[in-house]
Amino acid sequence: MAQPVLEWQAGTVTEIRPETRQTKSFTLALPKWMAHRAGMHYDVRLTAPDGYQTERSYSVASAPERVGVVELTVERIEDGEVSPYLHDVVVTGDQIEVRGPIGGYFVWEVALGGPLLLIGGGSGVVPLMAMLRHRAAQHATVPVRILYSTRTPDDVIYRQELDSLAAGDRGFEAFFTFTRLAPPGWTGYRRRIDAAMLGEVIKPFGTRARVYVCGPTLLVEAVASALVPMGLPIEQIRTERFGPTGV
Amino acid sequence: MNMDDGDMNTALMVDGNAVAGQLMDVFGRDMTMAVARCAGCAREAEMGALMAFTHSPGVVLRCPACQAAIARIVETPSAIYIEARGATFLRLPR
Repeated sequence: MAQPVLEWQAGTVTEIRPETRQTKSFTLALPKWMAHRAGMHYDVRLTAPDGYQTERSYSVASAPERVGVVELTVERIEDGEVSPYLHDVVVTGDQIEVRGPIGGYFVWEVALGGPLLLIGGGSGVVPLMAMLRHRAAQHATVPVRILYSTRTPDDVIYRQELDSLAAGDRGFEAFFTFTRLAPPGWTGYRRRIDAAMLGEVIKPFGTRARVYVCGPTLLVEAVASALVPMGLPIEQIRTERFGPTGV
Repeated sequence: MNMDDGDMNTALMVDGNAVAGQLMDVFGRDMTMAVARCAGCAREAEMGALMAFTHSPGVVLRCPACQAAIARIVETPSAIYIEARGATFLRLPR
């Protein structure tokens, strides 16, 4: 398949939406927009007045069905080089240099089928949300479950949208686990993802599940090493680790 | 993989998918679905699935099965160095 070489382009920020205390979603209008596959990312490049450049990758949160724009949900990393700038300096109307969509490995589209198990930690939910939005935009009935780990309920990104997707769709169920603080009366999970939890969530799908795991490296490692003994073929497990950020 | 050895490298590890942009600079195309065969253990894996270490002055890509270094990429102001002794081959899908 011939692939066009991706060039850097200036995207215009058309909307900034706070999601949680630490995350914001940035909608960028792109002059050379290309349809992405859910799960892909964009590189964002900042250039200082002295010419110093730095780049970071951010997953696309929007579905490819949203033509002409991409939405990137960015977690503010306290000592980061790029995310504090995006959070604290960028305003609507600004231009940001981006390149994408990139990364054909961690992608899901309706044609790949399911059943689908999405496992996210913290802002690792972002590419998984693109998959859910794509599935919804296609009115697909592929069975899907998401298991989403955060420290507290306030750290859940897209909470309302996940709840309303689940309410209107018998093929989709969302499971949350809170590792630090659960709300009063919470009867769901309140620990780090472990083999027992995975076993419960994956049960109706069994070894047919296609699994996408995205989050801090240690969470992804723990999930991947718990899935393999369950007999899941390794080709059905796709991982995206984003480094040492803790959840 | 031993998760309890306090090895910082494990926590810093990302996937080859995370360096897709840099690989595209080098190869001019998406390399994440290109397959690399490990010269050490003969495991074939998509480059997107390799273990990637990006906190050194270059990028080191390791085999997800045996952890041997498959490739190293170092960029200098004047050139890009690619050392890939750890790969028997790369297979690029058309």
